[in-house]
Amino acid sequence: MESYQLPHFPAHLSYVHAVLFTDVSDADLLRMRLITASTAEGIDGERERDALNFAFIEARLITSAAHLKAAIYQAALADAQGCLRTKTVHSEIIYALNPTHNISEAMRRYGVSDATTALIVVRVTGPELSAEEVKRAMHAVVMGTSTPFAELRNVTDWAAVKKYHKLANETAVRGAQGDLHREHAVIDEIVISSTAMKSVMA
Amino acid sequence: MSSPSLALISSSTLIAQGAEAKVYKAHLTSNHLEPPVVLKHRFQKGYRHPTLDGSLTRARVAGEARALMKCLRSGVNVPGLRMVDATEGVLGIEWIEGRSVRRLLPAGSNEDEGEPDSEEKPEREAADALQEYGISVEVLMQLIGEEIAKMHLADVIHGDLTTSNMMLRHPTSFNSRNPNLSTELVLIDFGLSYQSSLVEDKAVDLYVLERAFSSTHPESEPLFATVLKAYEQQMGKDWVIISRRLDDGLLCLHARYLLGTNCSYFSASARSQA
Repeated sequence: MESYQLPHFPAHLSYVHAVLFTDVSDADLLRMRLITASTAEGIDGERERDALNFAFIEARLITSAAHLKAAIYQAALADAQGCLRTKTVHSEIIYALNPTHNISEAMRRYGVSDATTALIVVRVTGPELSAEEVKRAMHAVVMGTSTPFAELRNVTDWAAVKKYHKLANETAVRGAQGDLHREHAVIDEIVISSTAMKSVMA
Repeated sequence: MSSPSLALISSSTLIAQGAEAKVYKAHLTSNHLEPPVVLKHRFQKGYRHPTLDGSLTRARVAGEARALMKCLRSGVNVPGLRMVDATEGVLGIEWIEGRSVRRLLPAGSNEDEGEPDSEEKPEREAADALQEYGISVEVLMQLIGEEIAKMHLADVIHGDLTTSNMMLRHPTSFNSRNPNLSTELVLIDFGLSYQSSLVEDKAVDLYVLERAFSSTHPESEPLFATVLKAYEQQMGKDWVIISRRLDDGLLCLHARYLLGTNCSYFSASARSQA
C-alpha cells in the first residue's frame, strides 16, 4: 500500500491511501455491490456505503503513480473548494481521470467494470483512520493480490490510453514511434498534464 | 474556507517575482523524495476590481495551461503540468533541473538573476557552464531555432521569447535518446502566449528574441543567424513568408510589437494577405 499526506489540505482530506490489486477475481460482484449500495436505505445502507467508501479505479488506464496522484490532488482540491462535480471526493477522482466532462462515461471507463482484473483502490481520509485499518477494509472488499505500484507499468493498456486521450495522431506521439520506452514516457507526460489541467481544459 | 493552494504557497520557497506573478519551489505531498514542482502564483492585484481581477486571473491561468498542453501534444519541449487551481491563480509546473540560457551565454550571468557571480570573467564562466552541458554555443543556437520552429508549427506564439525563458536540462537529470546530445532545450513561461497561425505573429516572436539577444548578449548577436538557420530548416515552406516579414517589415513588426496584436489595422492587413 502507498500512503502519503496532503499537508496543506483540510484535515479530512489530508491522508491518502492507495493499493494496486492485480488478479482481481470479483470485479463483477464488486460492481453489483456498488450499484446496490448506492440506493440501499436505512442503517444497512449506511453501513454498506461505509464499507465501500473508496475510489475503485480501472488500473489498466493509469499510466503511472504520478498520473493517479494528479487526479487525487485535483479531486481533493475540488472538494476543499466546495466545487465537486460528482457526489464524493472518491467519485471525483474517477471523473478527474477521464479526459471529457461526461460523468457516466468516466464511471464506465475509469471505474470498476465486470472485465476488470487490475484495480486501484484509493481512500482519501483524515488522520483518525490508521493505514492498517484502511488496508484491512480494502482487502475485505476486493479479492486480488496487493502489488507494488512499480508493477503498474505491466498493467497499463497503452493502446486504450492512447484512444481515450486521442493521442494516436499527435505529433509528439508520432515522433516517438518505434521507441516504445520513449513513446510511453511521452504519453505518460501528456496524460499527467492533461489530468492536472482538466479543470481549465478547453 | 482556507485555501489549500495558499497554505501550500506559505510553506514554499520563493524563487522569483515579477509584476504579474510570484514563482515558488514546492512539494505537493508529504513525500519529499518525489520531484518538487514550480508554483506560479498570479497573486491578487489590489489595483483591479476584485471581480475583474478574479476573471482575468482565471482566464490567464487557463490560457497558460492550454498553451503548455498544446506544446506537449505537439512535441515541443516544455515543462509538464502538475496541478491547476484557477480560482486562486496557481499553476503547478514540472521542476526542470538545469539552467537558463541567459546564464549560459556570455554577458548573461551578471544581471538581475540574484547570483553572486563575479563580474570579471563572465565570458569564461559561461563557456565553462556550457561545457558542463556538453554542447557548444553553436549547437545551443540550433536547439533554440528548432524548438521555436516546433512551437510555431503548432501555432503557439510565445509572446515573450528571451534567453531567460529558455532552459537547458542538466545532463545528470536527463535521459537523452541522442548519443551526441546530453541535454535538451526547454521553453518556459507561457504567461504571455497565445494561439495564432499568422506569419506576422510568428515574425514578431522572432523579432522580440532578436532584440533580447542584442541587448543581453551583444557578443552572441552574430550567432542569431544560426538560430534563424535552424528555424528555417525546421519550418519548411512557411519560412519564406516569415523571413520576408522579418527582412522588410522590421518597422511594421516593431509597431505591431508595441501596439499589441489586437490592433485592427494589422489584423486586417494580415487577413487580406491570406
